[in-house]
Amino acid sequence: MTDPVASPSAGGAPQPPHRLVDARGAWCPGPLMELIGAIQQEDAGAEIEVLSSDQGSRQDIPLWVRKAGHDLVKVEEGSEFDRYLVRKTH
Amino acid sequence: MRSVGDSSSPSPKMALLLASGTAERLLTASTLVSGAAALGYEVTIFASYWGLDALRTSGSEVHPPVEPGHGEASQRLEQTLRDRKVPTWRTILRTAKALGNVKVFACSQSMEVLGLRRADLDPLVDEVLGITSFVDRTRGAEATYFV
Repeated sequence: MTDPVASPSAGGAPQPPHRLVDARGAWCPGPLMELIGAIQQEDAGAEIEVLSSDQGSRQDIPLWVRKAGHDLVKVEEGSEFDRYLVRKTH
Repeated sequence: MRSVGDSSSPSPKMALLLASGTAERLLTASTLVSGAAALGYEVTIFASYWGLDALRTSGSEVHPPVEPGHGEASQRLEQTLRDRKVPTWRTILRTAKALGNVKVFACSQSMEVLGLRRADLDPLVDEVLGITSFVDRTRGAEATYFV
């Protein structure tokens, strides 16, 4: 499931649109498919944050982001789930 | 979805001959198709026999039975698929079709043998084809899978 969330409104440079894709509990290929669906709906420059508890995502999401030519801004691995921040580049 | 490969080269092709009708095999097939679709492959699925029977319009939102040869483990797997609300193979296939270049063809021979008409099949099916057309369409495929 995906929810648009408000951009952080702290001072400084304008923040890119930020969208949260909470795919925790979804099994392969769910999290990657949800990321692709979100990327398709957002404009270039948007950031999509994916939460996934699927171990396969650790390889599959970076692989897809690289091949699709987007930016993997950050990966945070956790004990229960991982967090991926992806910037849509085109 | 645009191809995620080198945009100057044609999309790679993947062929899948789908003849099985049990949940674990169909989930394997639809998951495989999703991965290929995500990477920009042109995927051609040829559904025959139990693979085609699994595409009947009826029963589209429930898991088909698991292969029963594993005794209690088979029952546990069926239970897990239900309890964990695992998406059905058709849901996964539908998502793959929405995101990428995936075509599903129904084997004309199986249609005859199983007594199926086009109207009996899920709209996921694009067309009824003979095997020769499948072989022709998948010429040069990087990989051909049989599930």
